[in-house]
Amino acid sequence: MTPALFRIALYGSLAICLLGLLWRVSTWFHLRVGPDACNVTVFQRLITAVRGAVSVTFSRGLVHVLRAFFVDVVFQNRLFAREKLRWLGHQLILTGFTGLVLVHALASVLAGKLSPGYQPTLDPYMFLRNLAGVMVFVGIAMVFAGRRRQQTGFPQSRRPIDAIFVALLGTILVSGFLLEAHKIASPRAFYRMTDQFIGTTDPEELKPLRALWASEFGVAFDDMGDGIEPAVIAEGRELHGDACASCHAKPTSAFISYTAAKVLAPLSGALDEARADTWLLYLHLFACFIGLALLPFSRFFHAVADPVSLLVNGAAREREFSSAGRASRRALALDACVHCGLCDSSCSVGPLARHLGNPALLPSHKIVATGAHARRRLLSHGIGPDALLVSEGAFQCTDCGRCTTRCPVGLDLADLWEAGRGDLAIAGLPAPSQWVQARSAFAWAESLDSRSTPDAPSAPLASDRRTFSHCVQCQTCTNVCPVVAHSIDTEHGVDLTPQKVMNLLRLGMLDLTLGSRMVWDCATCYQCQENCPEGVRVTDVMCELRGLAYHRLGSVRNPGGPS
Amino acid sequence: MKFALFVGCKIPSRLPAYEISTRAVLGRLGVSLVDLDFTCCGYPARNISRDAFVLAAARNLALAERAGLDVLTPCKCCFGNLRHAIRFLGEDEALRSRVEKALATEGLAWSGHTEVHHLLPLLARKVGIDKVTASVRLPQTGMRVAAQYGCHALRPSNVTRFDNPMAPTIFEKLIRATGAVAINWPRRLDCCGDPLHEANGPLSERITLAKLADARQSGATTICTACPHCHLRMDAVLAGSTSASAETGTEIKTLLYPQLLGLAMGLAPEALGM
Ligand code: SF4
Ligand code: SF4
Ligand code: SF4
Ligand code: SF4
Repeated sequence: MTPALFRIALYGSLAICLLGLLWRVSTWFHLRVGPDACNVTVFQRLITAVRGAVSVTFSRGLVHVLRAFFVDVVFQNRLFAREKLRWLGHQLILTGFTGLVLVHALASVLAGKLSPGYQPTLDPYMFLRNLAGVMVFVGIAMVFAGRRRQQTGFPQSRRPIDAIFVALLGTILVSGFLLEAHKIASPRAFYRMTDQFIGTTDPEELKPLRALWASEFGVAFDDMGDGIEPAVIAEGRELHGDACASCHAKPTSAFISYTAAKVLAPLSGALDEARADTWLLYLHLFACFIGLALLPFSRFFHAVADPVSLLVNGAAREREFSSAGRASRRALALDACVHCGLCDSSCSVGPLARHLGNPALLPSHKIVATGAHARRRLLSHGIGPDALLVSEGAFQCTDCGRCTTRCPVGLDLADLWEAGRGDLAIAGLPAPSQWVQARSAFAWAESLDSRSTPDAPSAPLASDRRTFSHCVQCQTCTNVCPVVAHSIDTEHGVDLTPQKVMNLLRLGMLDLTLGSRMVWDCATCYQCQENCPEGVRVTDVMCELRGLAYHRLGSVRNPGGPS
Repeated sequence: MKFALFVGCKIPSRLPAYEISTRAVLGRLGVSLVDLDFTCCGYPARNISRDAFVLAAARNLALAERAGLDVLTPCKCCFGNLRHAIRFLGEDEALRSRVEKALATEGLAWSGHTEVHHLLPLLARKVGIDKVTASVRLPQTGMRVAAQYGCHALRPSNVTRFDNPMAPTIFEKLIRATGAVAINWPRRLDCCGDPLHEANGPLSERITLAKLADARQSGATTICTACPHCHLRMDAVLAGSTSASAETGTEIKTLLYPQLLGLAMGLAPEALGM
């Protein structure tokens, strides 16, 4: 690669990376999650963050931040406490990756300054490079294996760019090892070096050296023949000591590449012909550059967002967040989520998500949806089927807090869910009781008339006349109903009474009950059912009616839009 | 005695003291508890689909059955809902086979052998009032306590089998066992207002306030609860988080039953999450 092209690609991708980082960080201060986030300006959020950082730095809180840095960021204590296997995998990736960047990518700069004798083909660099590469590989495998074990019944929340990024990472590792392996086995590389440092490429003249390098350095000459005499090798060793040893250790310490070189040996002539060294290098470098440029836009941006989030948590131990602080923290959480799915596998409504076939109930999917809504992508084409699923997911959450407890990044998910529900309610996607009650029972019944409805869920009581045919309309149910008793104003009062609901059902007018306030305001106190002299299961029917309403009214909820 | 403890969703996140105090007093009474990988009891899903709520409940019943344990829950809504699920599974063959099929995908099965208990009947009947009384070291005399029964445990009585639905006595007996006075109050069997909270806030608040006012007028100093929903709802209205709470005055407070019992046993307040 020409130095100019290399430099352009390097600085270009660096620039994209830096701009991307800046842009991503800026979203922490301007993305709005939660109704209260609309009351604070970007400027207030910035000032709050700066002020918070300064005041923590000069207070006792600094101890907590330092603790958070070592315990949570470096050691990853939260992950360690929850998933040992994935913790190990993650630490391997992190250490290996840092190692590769330091002793390999930056080596020519850093190691050259630290130890003047740096050569990539000397130990310990050769060994360390292989070790680091193996660590990353094994780490990735462990993380994937850990994920496999979590069964939520749904694919993990993930974006295409993340898959691309992982593919790039794999390309970098594989091409790196192949390149090193090929160079070990390549006769052409050997002759290029002898030309440069000994001044000849004559095979005969170099025979002793070739003998040594074939037997001990893994070069795959195709014209060596068998039975090289030990004396020749000894001669080669002398030449090697003079010309090569200061830059070349035995490649056996590059344990992966050396093994690969042995495998590639029969092909090395052909690979030389095909100039494999050049295109492998191009592949390796361009994968690095593209990866660098993509980093801020992939979820691996969490490498930046996580430490920040964990440090903020450390700093936040002793203080309440202002609404400006909370707003920024939520936006930060959207980036800091690593989509590990640990929350999903412990979610209280996981079985419900599977039954409904709606992954939007699961926390890691909710994070993605919350981000999409904050970036105005969820409703960009109005309220569509996806948005309805997201709303269902948000409002079926039981606020059990398990996801918050389990999240290895320590995200305050409880706060995020509440904020997200607030946003959805404002956007016209509130809780079922709210969207149903936004229209009158009559209006709902009319829109049901004009539309066919999808298969309703099972409602054996409400659809069986025998359930209420023996109702004698005695009004006992109404008289014991606390909701009726406390309905003293028309604005918040009920429209029907339990007895009237039963009567409508008796008359076959089920549609009229579905949007009724009485049905949706029923406190399920079971007074009516317990007290009914005829044994009518009034409350059980109320619950079934809600289930029916949820599906049937849901199907006519957005006239024009898909159901 | 050994049970699978079903804490539900509300207690760990919003009222951890209830779990702490429940474990503390049951430990004293020789009841051991096992934690299983339970999920939501299904109560919130009842509004959207019968199948969904029964399935969610059945999964938990199946987990308990696999462990060979009965379920004990301190939450009255979880209690009622799990019992309802058992009833629905018993009376609807088609539903049962749908649920069994869904459970089988998780490698689970439920043959109908899991019993579901609530904390109060467990103390009153399985442990026994006598044993509870005998465990008391510091009788809480002078405390005037109103028992908050809670709808989902009491009714429908043919499903919950909690106590006589018109004139229950179990909670008062347990209160008296601690040495406290159990007062009589007209609204003791009424709804606390919590289930209405999201659908109709103002109406819900009126229901809660009526109860609180009644307890106060009846001379209670403490409302004793045994359900996180009742407890949190009353606390929220008492704390004035909603507008009109001033009417009731603030001299009345809520107390979880295992906290009352724990204090009477002589346990330290910290051991009861207080
Ligand atoms: S709080 Fe909601 S999202 Fe989180 S684990 Fe519980 S039910 Fe699932
Ligand atoms: S919210 Fe936390 S636990 Fe859930 S996927 Fe994101 S990082 Fe993992
Ligand atoms: S449902 Fe029962 S209580 Fe209500 S009116 Fe009919 S018979 Fe009377
Ligand atoms: S269950 Fe519903 S309808 Fe029946 S009495 Fe209670 S609030 Fe009224």
